[in-house]
Amino acid sequence: MAERIGVYVCKCGPNIGDKIDVDVIVNDVNSIKNVATAKSHNLLCSEDGIKFLKSEIEKEKLSRVVIAACTPKMYEQKFMKACEEAGLNPYLMQMTNIREQCAWVTPDKTAATEKARSFVIAAINRVLLQEPIEKKEIDIQPDVLVVGGGVAGMEATLTLAQKGRKVYLVDKSPCIGGLGARFEEVYQTMECAPCMLAPEMQDILQKENIETLTHSEIEDVVGSYGNFSVKIRKKARYVSEEACIGCGACFEPCPVEISNEFDEGLSKRKAIYLPFAGALPNVPVIDKDNCKKLKGEECNACEQACPFGAINFDDEDKIIEKQVGAIILATGSMLFDPKSIPRYGYRKFDNVLTGLQLERLNASNGPTGGKILLKNGKEPKSIAFIYCVGRKEKGYCSGVCCMYSVKLAHLLRDKLPDVKIYNLYTDLCLPKKEHQRLYNEAVDKGAKFIRSDGTENVTRVGKNLVVQYKTDTTKKKVSVDMVVLASAVEPDESTEKIAKLLDIPRDEQGFFSEEHALMKPFGTPLEGVFIAGSCQGPKDIADAVAQGGAAAGRILSKLIPGEKLELEPKVAEIDEDLCSGCSTCITLCPYSATHRDEEKKIAVVDDALCRGCGTCVAACPTGAARAKHFTKEQIFAEIKEVAK
Amino acid sequence: MKDDKLTIVSFLCNWCSYEGADKAGNARLNYPANVRVIRVMCSGRVDPEFVIQAFKEGASGVLILGCHPGDCHYKKGNYKTLRRIYLLKKTLEGFGIEPERVRLDWVAAGEGERFAKVANEMVKTIEKLGPLELSEV
Repeated sequence: MAERIGVYVCKCGPNIGDKIDVDVIVNDVNSIKNVATAKSHNLLCSEDGIKFLKSEIEKEKLSRVVIAACTPKMYEQKFMKACEEAGLNPYLMQMTNIREQCAWVTPDKTAATEKARSFVIAAINRVLLQEPIEKKEIDIQPDVLVVGGGVAGMEATLTLAQKGRKVYLVDKSPCIGGLGARFEEVYQTMECAPCMLAPEMQDILQKENIETLTHSEIEDVVGSYGNFSVKIRKKARYVSEEACIGCGACFEPCPVEISNEFDEGLSKRKAIYLPFAGALPNVPVIDKDNCKKLKGEECNACEQACPFGAINFDDEDKIIEKQVGAIILATGSMLFDPKSIPRYGYRKFDNVLTGLQLERLNASNGPTGGKILLKNGKEPKSIAFIYCVGRKEKGYCSGVCCMYSVKLAHLLRDKLPDVKIYNLYTDLCLPKKEHQRLYNEAVDKGAKFIRSDGTENVTRVGKNLVVQYKTDTTKKKVSVDMVVLASAVEPDESTEKIAKLLDIPRDEQGFFSEEHALMKPFGTPLEGVFIAGSCQGPKDIADAVAQGGAAAGRILSKLIPGEKLELEPKVAEIDEDLCSGCSTCITLCPYSATHRDEEKKIAVVDDALCRGCGTCVAACPTGAARAKHFTKEQIFAEIKEVAK
Repeated sequence: MKDDKLTIVSFLCNWCSYEGADKAGNARLNYPANVRVIRVMCSGRVDPEFVIQAFKEGASGVLILGCHPGDCHYKKGNYKTLRRIYLLKKTLEGFGIEPERVRLDWVAAGEGERFAKVANEMVKTIEKLGPLELSEV
């Protein structure tokens, strides 16, 4: 059947009409073979224009359409929809941009008309070779995996669960709550973090459609958006979560004492332990590397002490497999270890602490029950905070250390009204609407803020710590009882492993890379995998919660039970007969969308993963790889005209 | 441009440089009409064959514009282009085609001015080189 192409040139009022001789173009292309009709319209995107276009397709029985108008970025979707509604496959329409890339950049009308004519003819050449593409939709699994149970992960979990979704919340720690659960008061509301988080944590543990897997890590992920298959290693806890009521009778008899990492090494814990009082779920865990019994020695003290028979030394790691449609990574962050910068004296001198260690000292569930004490058990009379620890080394401002230090200064002055506080900063980062006020109040409370040049040096003189620093002009020093290092935020150590597992990129700083820094800060380049909280970059609680909610919202709006997921239609395809099996395309694909069929010895494209960039197509030495809607023949057809 | 022998075929990626060219239009920045555009999804789609074909069909210059390194919509398509075009230029040189006739550069979606600047520079370069005379093989 002969092709019938309709060519429609939009005048866009005077925008194109005054700059290009539209009638000349219409007249010229009318005589081209296969062009059934060529017409101009004053404003094709208007309601009237769309109606006109649809009636033309029907009336003229068009098999293809060319629209010469503004940039396809404006109304390509609208015109595609009009074609579809008029019964024409939308991929049999080609738009060419004669406004932004012609009329508006070419003052000479003759030259502009000539250029526009070339664009229109190129589009006619191209549209003849275009093929209809059908929408591709796949069935989806609406359940979601959330990795990391800090504030971002909890918000995401609860948002999804609220809408009835089944959520698997995996946390590598024995408890949920993340870093936030280890703080006492948090800025800027200065409210009690455990009180703020406990209801959320309880909610998570009690909701039937949330399965919380603590002491667990993801081990393998295959599949794509809508259909991921995830393997989770649930590590042996050696305490039955069903039988244990969390009475704590097992702690006392345990003969092992080791440094408690959840108190930043400031307290001791037993081999059977809860990270901190109030940790949820309230079920202890046995640390198999330190438990005497599990190391093969004689001991069953905890087993004897347990009134409920909850101890199970035969417990083993379990691999649990779950099918989910999307994954949210909320794996969080940790503090930069200042030991690598010797001048701060961290881990060399007593009473040089990180911000997080002071948080634990201040916490009522911490090692001192919330008392601020020096190593010798006395209260400090003077404390120096050193800001920006690790900023230069990490190469970025963490944006939260100034505020957590200002907050701690507040709390210290409240607890120890006579304590002298020296804040040695180089730059203050107080970006949000309440932060400046909190800083001003800290100054009013008597905390001293001193601008130094960032070369602070800590030494010990007698019983005191001496911090040497330099202001713009002079070298100075201050003698204090305690030094607190406002350490930078860095990605959690699990970030690298998870990035490799999912094949998603990390940025230079080691955080997960977002799909788009501004417009999609919660997405990753792998569709269906989202990021939330400080695994994407340092952030405070409010920002982490917002991002958790945003990621969950994205999933709720796209992954709907009973509905299908629409895939990118303009993907690559492989011609089996032409493929030599060289695997060049496999090594190039940024989305791991191509794989090798070992039986047929050819490459295969996974439509669910391919985004249609065409990088593999350009590299295919045999021409077996084809980019739908951007085939070599289609591009050549354009070149033929525009290169003239 | 009067001399229609001096056409420059530009391959623009959908996400950055094509939008950059649109921004040049929005700002009514001028560049010669012999800069002709072909849209591709990613600069990584630009097969060296496209460049050679453009020369065969009469182009005197070929411009390939992608997202800035690190900004590729498809993660790293533009890095692949960088390698390919480097090799292509070496090959063209071997055939007596000045490598300056092919220019790979980066234009972000907001960089209308940069697009116009690159387009104008390319036209000047090609004007200096003159039309490409390919002998029949």
